[in-house]
Amino acid sequence: MRPVKGRGHLAAFVAAPVAVVLALLILVLATRSPASDRVTQSPIVGQATPAVELRTLDGKPFSLDRYEGRWVLVNFFATWCTPCRQEHPELRRFAADHERTGDAAVVSVVFEDDPATVRRFFAENGGSWPVLDDADGKAVLAFGVVKVPESYLIDPDGVVQAKITGGVTAAGVESVMAELGAGGTRRGGG
Amino acid sequence: MASPPVAARRAPGKGPRLGPWMSSWLVMAVVLVVALALGSRTVGGGSDQDRVRAVASTIKCPQCAGQSAASSDAPTAEAIRRDIADRLAKGQSPDRIRDFYASRYGEGILLNPARSGPAGLVWVLPVVAAVLAFAGLGFAFRRWQQAAPAELSAEDRRLVAAARRARLSVGEPDGEPVDPHGEGDGR
Amino acid sequence: MNAALGRAGIVLAFVSSLGGIATVVVALSTGRRALLRQAASFVALVAGGAVVAFAAMERGLVTRDFSMEYVASHGSTRTPALYNVATLWSALEGSILLWGLILAGYLVAVTFKFRRRLTDPLVGWALLTMFAVCTFFFGLMLGPANPFRTLATAPLDGPGPNPLLQNNVLMAFHPPMLYLGYVGFTVPFAFAVAALATGRVGEGWLVETRRWTLFAWAFLSVGIVLGAWWSYEVLGWGGYWAWDPVENASFLPWLTGTAFLHSVMVQERRGMLRVWNLSLVCATFSLTILGTFLTRSGVLDSVHAFSDSTVGPLLLGFFALVVLVAVGLIGWRGDRLRSPGRIDSPVSREGAFLANNVAFAAFAFVVLLGTVFPLIVESVNGERLSVGVPYFNRMTMPLGLLLLFLMAVAPALPWRKASAETLATRLQWPAWAGTGAVVLAVALGARGLAPLLAFGLGGFGAGAAVRQVALATRRQGWRGLVGRTNGGMIVHLGVVLIAVAFAASSSYTTQREVRLEPGESARVGGHSVTYLGITERAEANRTDRIARVRVDGGQVYAPRLQRFPNGTQEIGRPSVRTSPVDDVYLALLEAPAAAGGAVRLRVIVQPLVMWLWVGGGVIALGSALAAFPGRRRRGTEPASAPVAEPARDRPDPVEDRQPVGVA
Repeated sequence: MRPVKGRGHLAAFVAAPVAVVLALLILVLATRSPASDRVTQSPIVGQATPAVELRTLDGKPFSLDRYEGRWVLVNFFATWCTPCRQEHPELRRFAADHERTGDAAVVSVVFEDDPATVRRFFAENGGSWPVLDDADGKAVLAFGVVKVPESYLIDPDGVVQAKITGGVTAAGVESVMAELGAGGTRRGGG
Repeated sequence: MASPPVAARRAPGKGPRLGPWMSSWLVMAVVLVVALALGSRTVGGGSDQDRVRAVASTIKCPQCAGQSAASSDAPTAEAIRRDIADRLAKGQSPDRIRDFYASRYGEGILLNPARSGPAGLVWVLPVVAAVLAFAGLGFAFRRWQQAAPAELSAEDRRLVAAARRARLSVGEPDGEPVDPHGEGDGR
Repeated sequence: MNAALGRAGIVLAFVSSLGGIATVVVALSTGRRALLRQAASFVALVAGGAVVAFAAMERGLVTRDFSMEYVASHGSTRTPALYNVATLWSALEGSILLWGLILAGYLVAVTFKFRRRLTDPLVGWALLTMFAVCTFFFGLMLGPANPFRTLATAPLDGPGPNPLLQNNVLMAFHPPMLYLGYVGFTVPFAFAVAALATGRVGEGWLVETRRWTLFAWAFLSVGIVLGAWWSYEVLGWGGYWAWDPVENASFLPWLTGTAFLHSVMVQERRGMLRVWNLSLVCATFSLTILGTFLTRSGVLDSVHAFSDSTVGPLLLGFFALVVLVAVGLIGWRGDRLRSPGRIDSPVSREGAFLANNVAFAAFAFVVLLGTVFPLIVESVNGERLSVGVPYFNRMTMPLGLLLLFLMAVAPALPWRKASAETLATRLQWPAWAGTGAVVLAVALGARGLAPLLAFGLGGFGAGAAVRQVALATRRQGWRGLVGRTNGGMIVHLGVVLIAVAFAASSSYTTQREVRLEPGESARVGGHSVTYLGITERAEANRTDRIARVRVDGGQVYAPRLQRFPNGTQEIGRPSVRTSPVDDVYLALLEAPAAAGGAVRLRVIVQPLVMWLWVGGGVIALGSALAAFPGRRRRGTEPASAPVAEPARDRPDPVEDRQPVGVA
């Protein structure tokens, strides 16, 4: 560092802590996973379902309260998003499996898409669960959606139990539900 | 290495002569203070869009890499701007709006890290480091000032003068340095 | 064919680097100095290999050799010629190849410059260090960053480079400039290592290093400004600097390099700060490597980051090695080289340089801390947080103002000690210039303390710089414009331009999003913007939807949305009406499908933006003038000679001392 009168061991004394700090920095950098692989923990997991006013594509008010006593998978999607189209059959399988037992349901929320395109998509690809419009993005922000597709699993008491980023599989959702059924809250995941 | 005694160069005890520059500096100080006082008065906040942008620029666009919600064109960023406009219109404070986003996306959504907790270190550390560095500098200056340089003896001056004469007479190449610290660089 | 040739070039360069290392090590350890001359032939081989590899890649791109994986994934038949050439540095492997070529170029330049002193162990150690760096980078291209992978079946066409990298001509110049800067810092680092290793830490190594550092620094400065300009012209949000990790990665070595260029003068004049200067050189080089790691490993979110992450661990390992060598050498040798000098008064040129160095070091610390802090916190408690623009602006602003102040005061300060009277006389006119700038700004309606301080200190600094240059030219004629001090003053003017433009454009932005029907106008920040209509045009590599927008009833501008075949979404391409007073920045957000519909436009009016780019040019000019040999003075007054020099009490030392001993 700056020279001080006399020749002591200043350089060595300064170099040692600098080396330690840099070694720690390198250690930190070496143990980081790539930014793209990191899953953000969602603060709404474990919280009550965010209160948002939703409307169906036809403009009718829709409340998630109607699913009280049942599991519900809230799926945010857009038809312009490839993984969303890819997960669609899995959603259909999940919905069909639970339609009979009536213990779980699927709701889709449209993210930045044209209602007509969405209707056409459902007409072509099947799926008869409620599709909700989120034209102003309120639901997206209330759930903390980063990027579609994203799904939130809500338990029968109306508590958000899991956030699944990326496409879901029916089996994946079942296993999350089974795990949660055994008690305990699952965070993140995907 | 010894430095020349500074005092030797100027008659000791002679304070700075007050010259015509003094009044000029006084006028300047007055002008500057008045101008800064006039200029730093805050004018009324800008338009609604400006207020939205101010809040949005402290919120990260969740979908993009490192851009703020104010500067991104991603759909979520646009939704955030609309939402902020709504909330401001409802009278919510910027801090309350930020709290809402932090409650849905986590603290990572805020571009200004929190002032408290471990995140507060990012604010404190640079200040501590800068204060320490400038304090260290001040300390070094004090030590330098206290360590009065050894007076040169007449013998020292004679030796130096002789050495320089010797160099000049040899006709040193352009600008060869005298290496007063004993580490020649071998040329 | 191209791939095989390129591969051969890389292998040749790698093996020759190893050969160079072996030769120098044998020569230095056995004391057979004559052997050091042989290093020159290895240098030629490294350069030959690098040139062959680079040429093979360019040939592959130009001839569209899609059997090469790099060309197939980043080139395309539709890419226009200029961007086709620039595709080489638009992705990770190619950018490393460019790095290797430039490194080899510096190696050749150093060998040529010191061709008569190749047997000097100092030069030997420097070459050894450079060979080691070459070995690493060419090794990288043999391994994970191999640019010459081939495909079994060549596709007929490729997707082309990232759309953002192929719609502005600045992309052809920004990366090479930046790399000339980054890689150039290898040379001073090599000499610092050599000085430490040989123990010859007089002022000799410094003299070798200074001009190389200036050269690298100038290219880095220009590269950074061009990068900012590119962001402004392409990204569509109206800004040019976002404290993005990748931007910070280029700014960090600039900060430490700037600190070094100043503190080096204290060492030359007073023989002090030797260890500090060595540390700055080592820090600058280490930060270029750290920046390369941050940019290419994907650990940080950034708009500009390369996507690949396999080279990350290797770059980090190399950074660790560089740090180990640098800190180890300084810790080992440092105390032996410390000089027992002292600074007479804080109010002196050297005192100002010390304050400057502390400020630059603090600045670099803030930027580095802000950049890596999220990673540190995450590794400690798993929380994710962000450190963004507001943090950097707030923390760096006082340091920036302090640096502007020092920039204004330092040129007027004499070495050793200044009296209040000297200062008061010398600083009077510059200070009036600063006051005038504040008054003018207030009169023009500028409000807010921080920007006003920036304008005032900017005027102060500009006044001080102009005063020095004026005095020097009066005394020396045109020679008063060249040489380090005078060139440095021109650089200061460029920095003042950038600082003032930065303060003005970031403080007085007016931004509106407007929706306009054809023929409709909007007023934003005192300018009228009229939407005329939309046209669609097919280009070779894309389709453009162009809005015609008339600004202030005059010229028509064309912000557009571009659809590239390899992109899923349309990319906005802003259009800017530039003027010395303010810029009107037009970005098309939404265009109607049919001709008659409304568009959504983002209109940003920012003052003085143009002066940022002008400032970059002035910095380049000043650096060139500074590198040009100035007035020579015979080295009869060694800087630290223990004699009171009457000559030094001149009323106004317009210092233009050449570093004594430049060969």
